[in-house]
Amino acid sequence: MTRLAVYGILAVVSLALEVTWLSVIRPGGAVLDPLLILVVSAGLLRGPEEGAVVGAAAGLLQDVATGVPLGLGMLGNLCAGFSAGLGEGRIYLENVWLPGIAAFAMTMVRNAVWIGAGHLVSLVNVSPGEALRVTALAACYNGVIAIPIFQWLRRLDGMLQRLSERPR
Amino acid sequence: MLSSTLIRHRRLLVFLTLGVVALAVLTEQVRSPDRRRIGWAGDAVEFVLAPAAMVLSRIGGAVSGAWSVLNEIGTLRTENAHLRAEVGRLREENARLRASEQENARLRTLLGFKEQEPYQTVAVRVVGRDPSDWFSTVLVDRGTLAGIRRNDSAVTSDGLVGHVIEAGLTWSRVLLLPDPRSAVGVLVVRSREAGVVEGQGQPLLRVKYLARDADVQPGDEVVTSGLGPIYPRSLVVGSVVEVSHPSGDMFEEAVVRPSADLSHLEELLIIVGDGAQGAR
Repeated sequence: MTRLAVYGILAVVSLALEVTWLSVIRPGGAVLDPLLILVVSAGLLRGPEEGAVVGAAAGLLQDVATGVPLGLGMLGNLCAGFSAGLGEGRIYLENVWLPGIAAFAMTMVRNAVWIGAGHLVSLVNVSPGEALRVTALAACYNGVIAIPIFQWLRRLDGMLQRLSERPR
Repeated sequence: MLSSTLIRHRRLLVFLTLGVVALAVLTEQVRSPDRRRIGWAGDAVEFVLAPAAMVLSRIGGAVSGAWSVLNEIGTLRTENAHLRAEVGRLREENARLRASEQENARLRTLLGFKEQEPYQTVAVRVVGRDPSDWFSTVLVDRGTLAGIRRNDSAVTSDGLVGHVIEAGLTWSRVLLLPDPRSAVGVLVVRSREAGVVEGQGQPLLRVKYLARDADVQPGDEVVTSGLGPIYPRSLVVGSVVEVSHPSGDMFEEAVVRPSADLSHLEELLIIVGDGAQGAR
């Protein structure tokens, strides 16, 4: 319960940053997405089930708060969180490059699902070249910021785990 | 047997269930006429998020302002001299315009025209933007308490910006013209040709449904027609940059550059009490 509340607070802070500062900076037209890093981290640390739930909740929150059609972000982040969790038990979490690579790959997955679903309902009309350019750029940014954010989230997750296991 | 299968495939079931829910929410949004109704859940999210966005936006504004001041100190002296010359010129022009205004008023009285009521507006500040790359909305810092309602038009001094799609007590969300969900009834000022400006998810807009033999040229100014339920008439939308005649199509199309700088919006005016009467 405490962990969910902490994830909720982190999601709101990430969103507030995204709609204010990060949406203005936009280097090369792509936006950094700390909320996606949160989703990917939940998947890596807790497995596909929690990754999917955190992804769907964070995506829906993002849709509500940013004005995009509801369901697009939910679907994209759901796939990203679930896919990130599929490596549970098979990947070495201590590897310093892991979160960067995972965030890069999951940004590609998220945007592919997002654009595909948007095309399906005739709401996204973007050329494949432009979509690939923006997605690859966003994936690079997310890959870079994921490394420190994941380490921090991992420590926080461990702390919350110890807190919940402490005898009352 | 069934329960053990369910337990074994629990992860996949969770994923598929949430995926179906997301698709259902998405298709429901697309089928509904106004495309987006978030209700109490949206109000609750914005109740938490809007104040945080306002604080961060003000901090960002202060930092950006301070940075600009540092950058501009060097250019102030030259600009001051230019501005003094400009003030002199504007004073002269102002005196001429005053005379024209008085003459205009006299002629209007003579012709019996009724003076058009100016729009009632509310000034708002942009505190948040949609971070996605292919949709365009902004969050502003005033809502229903200031008299803003769904479907009110948003403008800057340069022209039309969009319309309000959600309004909370102290916040509103404005759908900008380039958003693919945006459509505005327009007229070409020079030839009075009618069409519909639609967003493309890109900076330039597209005018659709122009008559095949419509008289439209690059440089023509485009204004709102006032025919739809949302926008008042004669608000400047932009100017035509390109006209195309798709072969085999019944209509002509044109590309329009919005007159307002939509990528650097800071303050807007919301036209209240003159937006849609229905669909609120």
